[in-house]
Amino acid sequence: MLPYWLLIPAFVIVLATTIYPLAYSFVTSFREWDLTKQRRPDGFVGFDNYLHAASESGFQNSLWVTTIFVVTSVALTLVIAMSLALLLRRKGRMHTFTRIVLILPFAMSPALIGVSYRFMFNPEFGVLAKGLGAVFPALEGMPWLADPNLAMAILVLTDVWHWAPYMTFMCLGGLASIPRETEEAARIDGASYLRIFFGIILPQMKGVLLVTAVLKTIFALKMFDQVVTLTGGGPGTSTETLAFFVFNVGFKWYDMGYASALAWILTAIMMLISIWYVRMLLSDRKMATA
Amino acid sequence: MADVRLVDIEKKYGNFLAVPQLNLTIEDGEFLVLLGPSGCGKTTTMRMIAGLEEITSGDIEIAGKRINDKPPKDRDIAMVFQNYGLYPHMTVRQNIDYPLKLRGVDRAARTRRVQETAEKVELEALLERRPSELSGGQRQRVALARAIVRTPSIFLMDEPLSNLDAKLRVTMRAELKHLHHELGVTTVYVTHDQMEAMTLASRIAIMREGRIVQLDTPKRIYSEPADLFVAGFIGSPSMNLIDGAIAGGVFTAPGVSFPVDQPDRDDVVLGIRPEDLEISTAPDAPVIGKLYALELTGESTLVTLRTGANSVCARGPADHEAEINAPCHFVPKPGARVHLFDRPSGHRLDGLSAKGQTL
Ligand SMILES: Nc1ncnc2c1ncn2[C@@H]1O[C@H](COP(=O)(O)OP(=O)(O)OP(=O)(O)O)[C@@H](O)[C@H]1O
Ligand SMILES: [Mg+2]
Repeated sequence: MLPYWLLIPAFVIVLATTIYPLAYSFVTSFREWDLTKQRRPDGFVGFDNYLHAASESGFQNSLWVTTIFVVTSVALTLVIAMSLALLLRRKGRMHTFTRIVLILPFAMSPALIGVSYRFMFNPEFGVLAKGLGAVFPALEGMPWLADPNLAMAILVLTDVWHWAPYMTFMCLGGLASIPRETEEAARIDGASYLRIFFGIILPQMKGVLLVTAVLKTIFALKMFDQVVTLTGGGPGTSTETLAFFVFNVGFKWYDMGYASALAWILTAIMMLISIWYVRMLLSDRKMATA
Repeated sequence: MADVRLVDIEKKYGNFLAVPQLNLTIEDGEFLVLLGPSGCGKTTTMRMIAGLEEITSGDIEIAGKRINDKPPKDRDIAMVFQNYGLYPHMTVRQNIDYPLKLRGVDRAARTRRVQETAEKVELEALLERRPSELSGGQRQRVALARAIVRTPSIFLMDEPLSNLDAKLRVTMRAELKHLHHELGVTTVYVTHDQMEAMTLASRIAIMREGRIVQLDTPKRIYSEPADLFVAGFIGSPSMNLIDGAIAGGVFTAPGVSFPVDQPDRDDVVLGIRPEDLEISTAPDAPVIGKLYALELTGESTLVTLRTGANSVCARGPADHEAEINAPCHFVPKPGARVHLFDRPSGHRLDGLSAKGQTL
């Protein structure tokens, strides 16, 4: 019996900090609860909160914004991470140095990244805004963060900048596990560098790239800090991602029932992606061992 | 078909000289084995021939053409790697097919060639499997098939059998030998297994610390080792090497005295192979000592005696029995070879004859 007693403290902590809030938000998502009017949740409304999402423009906009953000950010991060990994694979003189420098962006807090990019793209005094203006006169005085498309581009840029280093290290790990002989055999067999990359390296990187893509997708779906500190969701609602929208619904408009439903929709999306990923991985393994 | 010439090639890794000034000519159709202890530069030499490793200085010629700056794919070579280097994401068929595909051979011809090659190495039944679903010996054969499918003019094989178990090794060795006979392609083969070298090679190049210490046929390497290193390296159990001196036409060391027709000198090493000695009871035997160990190997018994600081081993009959520490005498068999080496330089003393001295 004793082992079970000893488990209780850990279990209680997990219950209190994870399971209870999760369950609570799940239940809340089926209730009406306007925090400006009541301190406790109101009656059950069935699927009303979820149905509301289907017809509400704020949610649909955020879904669209999130999709654009996730797709571009994941694609760019993967391409950049893979390219950097290929460049850094050979051990050169600056080996350790480049790796230390590389990890710096990842060590920075995302909120801080948002703030610093807002400064750097300020048309009046921003380093990047001024620098770009000096190199390309056409860009001088560009209202970077006031333009919906540019604001989105900069948001994606901050996220790629933040995550590419970490993903580069994942790719480096993947590259290191590829037997050197497979590439050398391909060189002798007569493959060009491009063919070696696409025909020999990339297929062997499939597993690692899949993990990287899924992790990056989930992180991108949850991305929140930079929206708050860089764009505030604007201009207008052009960078209002799902995570930011949920926050607004809950803590600006105090519609807790609806916010909970939205949070669970976000969770469901991430779960679907994870399940798809595990399936891919399992089928891949079956192919390798069957 | 082509010969390979290495002229003064040198390889440095930073300040470390892995291969200094190597000269080697590999004849057309020859099966040349690079043999030597671990780290002596065999792989490095082979990779330089393949073009996978840049050479620091010197020239490499294939079929009379200097190919220093040519990429591996333009050298018309095929290589079998120590751990195979199969493409894990491709089936056996695709693995074998890949070199043909890259060279733009048309589909029908490719299918035929892959089929023929697979039959040659008995892989027909496994063509749709992936490398991870094969045994070591089967992977080995895939690597071999991938190398022979486009009939290159040179094969390079880096310890291709080292990952196999002893039995499979012997089988694959025979297969390799047969294959070389059939295709007649110039082959450079790296190994540190002397048995493999002896059985496969037309000629063996014995390497030590990046240098070739002897280049000769297996037979002559065995019967006329050029120096102490080769003498000790080839043969199992290895040659008995006894330090002593020559005086009055007799080599003497504690418990050992062999008549030799050599001028007097000190610092001499006498070498005689265990299979050239037999057990005797003659009181005036050239080797006299106390029995130290008896090891039954199956077809024979290895008898070791100790005398002074030396151990001397002889191959005796399988049924030989004796007490440890009992007196023990060895005499050379009729026609046995005695080798003499200079201790300081390690070189063979060639005053007696190019063939070594026969008793
Ligand atoms: N990339 C490298 N950088 C530095 N030194 C190297 C490198 N590759 C090989 N060497 C050194 O060169 C020497 C020869 O290496 P090589 O791999 O040719 O040995 P080998 O004869 O093939 O040995 P083995 O039988 O163990 O495979 C070794 O001393 C090794 O440490
Ligand atoms: Mg080697």
